[in-house]
Amino acid sequence: MFDALIDQFWSLTFSGIALGFIYVLIAMGYTMVYGVLRMINFANSEIFMVGAFATVMVSKYVFELSNDAIPPSNVKLFLVILCCIVASMLASALLAFLVELVAYRHLRNRTTNRIAPLISAIGIGIVISEIVRILTGARTQFSPNIVPKKTLATFQGAEIRLDSTLTIVAGLILFIILDRFIKYSRLGKGIRAVSMDEDSAKLMGVNLNRVISLTFILGGLMTGAAGFFYVNVYENVKFNMGFSLGLAAFTAAVIGGIGNIRGAFFGGISLGLVEIYASAVIGTQWKPVTVFIILILILLFKPNGIFGEAVQRTRV
Amino acid sequence: MINLRDKGAEFWERSNRPVRVLTVFAIMAVVAALPYAGNTFLQTPVAAFDAVLVYPMGMFILMALGLNVVVGKSGMLDLGYVAFFAVGAYTMAILGTRTGLNTWEIMPIGIAAAMFAGVLLAIPTLRLRGDYLAIVTLGFGEIVRVSALNSEAIGGALGIAGVPFPPGLGFEYQLLDQKYFFWTILVMILLVIWVIRRLTVRRPGRAWESIRQDEDAAELMGVSTYKYKIWAFVFGAAIGGGAGVFYASRSMVIAPDNFTLNTSILILACVVFGGMGNIWGVIVGAAILGYLPDRFRFLSDARLLLFGLVLVVFMNLRPEGILPRKKREKAIVKKGSGA
Amino acid sequence: MNKKIISGFAIAASAALTFGVVASTPASAKVKEITIAYQGPITGDSAQTGADEVNAAKYALKKYNDSNPAVKINLVIIDDQGAGSVALTVAPGAAANKKILAIVGPAFSGATISSLPYYKAARLPMISPSATNVTLTDKKSVNYGYPVFHRVPSTDAFQGPSLAKWAVQNQKSPKVYIVDDKTPYATGLAAYTKKALAAGVWVGSDSTPDDTKDFAATISKVKSTGTNVVIYTGYYSQAAVLINQLRADGYKGDFASGDGTLGSGFLEGAGKNAEGVLLVAPTVPLSVGNPAMEADYVKVMGAASGEYTTETISIVNIYIAAVKSGVTTRSGMLNFINGYKGETVAGTKLSFDRNGDNNGAAAITGFIVKGGKIVPIEVVK
Repeated sequence: MFDALIDQFWSLTFSGIALGFIYVLIAMGYTMVYGVLRMINFANSEIFMVGAFATVMVSKYVFELSNDAIPPSNVKLFLVILCCIVASMLASALLAFLVELVAYRHLRNRTTNRIAPLISAIGIGIVISEIVRILTGARTQFSPNIVPKKTLATFQGAEIRLDSTLTIVAGLILFIILDRFIKYSRLGKGIRAVSMDEDSAKLMGVNLNRVISLTFILGGLMTGAAGFFYVNVYENVKFNMGFSLGLAAFTAAVIGGIGNIRGAFFGGISLGLVEIYASAVIGTQWKPVTVFIILILILLFKPNGIFGEAVQRTRV
Repeated sequence: MINLRDKGAEFWERSNRPVRVLTVFAIMAVVAALPYAGNTFLQTPVAAFDAVLVYPMGMFILMALGLNVVVGKSGMLDLGYVAFFAVGAYTMAILGTRTGLNTWEIMPIGIAAAMFAGVLLAIPTLRLRGDYLAIVTLGFGEIVRVSALNSEAIGGALGIAGVPFPPGLGFEYQLLDQKYFFWTILVMILLVIWVIRRLTVRRPGRAWESIRQDEDAAELMGVSTYKYKIWAFVFGAAIGGGAGVFYASRSMVIAPDNFTLNTSILILACVVFGGMGNIWGVIVGAAILGYLPDRFRFLSDARLLLFGLVLVVFMNLRPEGILPRKKREKAIVKKGSGA
Repeated sequence: MNKKIISGFAIAASAALTFGVVASTPASAKVKEITIAYQGPITGDSAQTGADEVNAAKYALKKYNDSNPAVKINLVIIDDQGAGSVALTVAPGAAANKKILAIVGPAFSGATISSLPYYKAARLPMISPSATNVTLTDKKSVNYGYPVFHRVPSTDAFQGPSLAKWAVQNQKSPKVYIVDDKTPYATGLAAYTKKALAAGVWVGSDSTPDDTKDFAATISKVKSTGTNVVIYTGYYSQAAVLINQLRADGYKGDFASGDGTLGSGFLEGAGKNAEGVLLVAPTVPLSVGNPAMEADYVKVMGAASGEYTTETISIVNIYIAAVKSGVTTRSGMLNFINGYKGETVAGTKLSFDRNGDNNGAAAITGFIVKGGKIVPIEVVK
């Protein structure tokens, strides 16, 4: 039962961390919005899906890469990665901005009911994924190989691959930039102010609508980047891909303490590892059961997640 | 905006007893005659109208009423309601195919099993609040579905087939004409409405309302919030379980993919779309959202797209639902004037 | 202003509803028409299977209707999303709709099982192009589809042993690891494949639900068991994802799969990793079995054929033959199907036994991917 885990421990660990970073970035989309609006942005999974599609489109149609071609190298590789990631981030950020405008803004001013925006978000999520399905077909779309899957080094028998390494390094950089931005920039302070107390922030002259739009855009940028890394490692997209990954990322945000971006970081990585270890030990079909039982146990002992949502300093 | 709920309430207040009784009977007659409306503009393309009346519409109304006790009345966000539906359905399927018990004998067992599942989930998790509760209930729903999927003893992915039909009660249930199923479910709905209305005006109803408005204040006022939350949860679970038993018996076949997270979300959408906390609103919401996807079948490819649009547009137009609950202030004013 | 919006919406909605009724109940035309239905997933996660099969049915009917026959054939599309729960709402409608004489489908076994009670009661004949679950034609099972259910492909009970045999052909001492995707199709096929393997050959199994994206755990088990043959019993898109990850992680052994993987989608997804993959199927894709028709198909439909195209066209051809022979009722159709003896468009024999299985379908073909093409090698027995 534990043979595979012991035998392939390091290889599983690297895969788990790379997967974890994808969760971390998607979780940012949930946790930022939650931190400011106290609301689950259910459309975030579709924002992620659109980001992933953007990468496939750019690599396929702008750079005309194909599945069989030898992946680009050196300067061209760098250029392709840059264009793809920027396209994904922008597409997702734009969509997040629009989602806020269409599904939330009007509602926010009209009701204190917290479940109405949830249903509105679910509705817009259905609309987005159905539009993508009608435009691209229901078939799984395969992406060209962008970053060559070559082995950089071997560690204890585990191969450290370029594509996973890129996910981990770039994911970490993005996370640090976001964390610093929220902590030190003027706009970031605005976000934190609204997160702590909306009314006081308003009285202090914070432009509420602008701050909320910005939160969605930042969340969208991170989620879009996750779309790029996802395609990069797994090389496929489908109109309904957002659902399961979004659910996992949301779970990660809750484990760490939703609304707390460092919590989401911790939650994402640990969820990635737990999923992979659990799949290796008791079978992939039991993965969701294991994950949710662990979630329930964590919330039993830490009702606000491991890092809690009350950490005002790091809270969005 | 026109407030249909207030108009309705006003009419009710102004009418005397005979008028009220007459109104109720008229509405009942119209609803009961629905299976005969199959050839009018109500007709659903492709799907049979009488079957659509039973599932999704009737079942959605039943489940939405149950979920409304949890979400609408006591303010707990439950995203795993389908789990109780599944527990009821699987109880029916397992006992119905392996013992000689019939649907009506299994009904109380299925309801009890769902209530037990409700207690099991409620005791550790109801101390959580708001969105944490939402993800935990969501997880519970997935745990139930995936466990059923992975257990070959209860059919695995194929599920259980050959679940017996309910025995007739002076009439025989028919496959190709589902009006008896519809009338049965109508009776179940009326029964549930009656029980909920009894509870709402008594102590549990007031406790739930106080929890929904402000849990801390309720606790301070001496309401045992934890106990009443468990009650609400278990009561909702019982209705879900009962609906599940009937669903399995009517469908004859159940499989894990009948109980996905999407169903939970859809039922929640019914509650919010209709008007959280208001029984009549929830019924209207569930009837509409159950009906629309089948009515849109002529759109083939775009029907779910349109369904999503309807959700967004209507939530923006009527954030409190089609028939919103009574405003708190109004309730207080009326009490004051009555005293 | 809000009132205006609402009334505007109401008008639009009622207009849509009325239009829908008009559109869905076409006035009876002068030309005599017969209606058949396709049932399968048009929306939802598995919509591609439905799209492929619907296109195949449309192609066959277009060919027929364009030849100006005395009786035209209409196609009604019934979307069951490949799910039993949705099939439960549409099946009573199809059963009660007396205009529908026969059904092409249902595409999936689960939806078939849910629909069967209604079609049996209404004696509505059906021939499925892709439902391969064994219980549907098993006399002892509650899912037994007699007398209405028929199918063109052979069951998993035949495919499993062939897959087990075909998969190990390159290895002197094979170690087989079986992966399924938890769908009724894949779990059934996996069970029959495992049963047919020689003692000691099977080293392990995993189930990866079809939304799995990261196969690292499965791959680690493949590696630590020293597996040299991986058999995947699910559908092509996940098969491509799995083999890509296996190869990227340095797995050098063989990869084998069943009919869910047969098709151009797998080649497109797996690219050069598909080279040397071993496949079996109770069918041949149209592009292999009848290249001339495939060329015509591309010309008419504007796209290459997909999965189960051969079966779907063959089924529609049975119905066309029935209509040509003057069948106008469901029972007439049922008799015609039971007495039918013909060929599929790929040239294999086609007739049904008492249980609804295809007499000519037992032949399972083994394929190997060579030079970016799926090449049929031989019949695997």
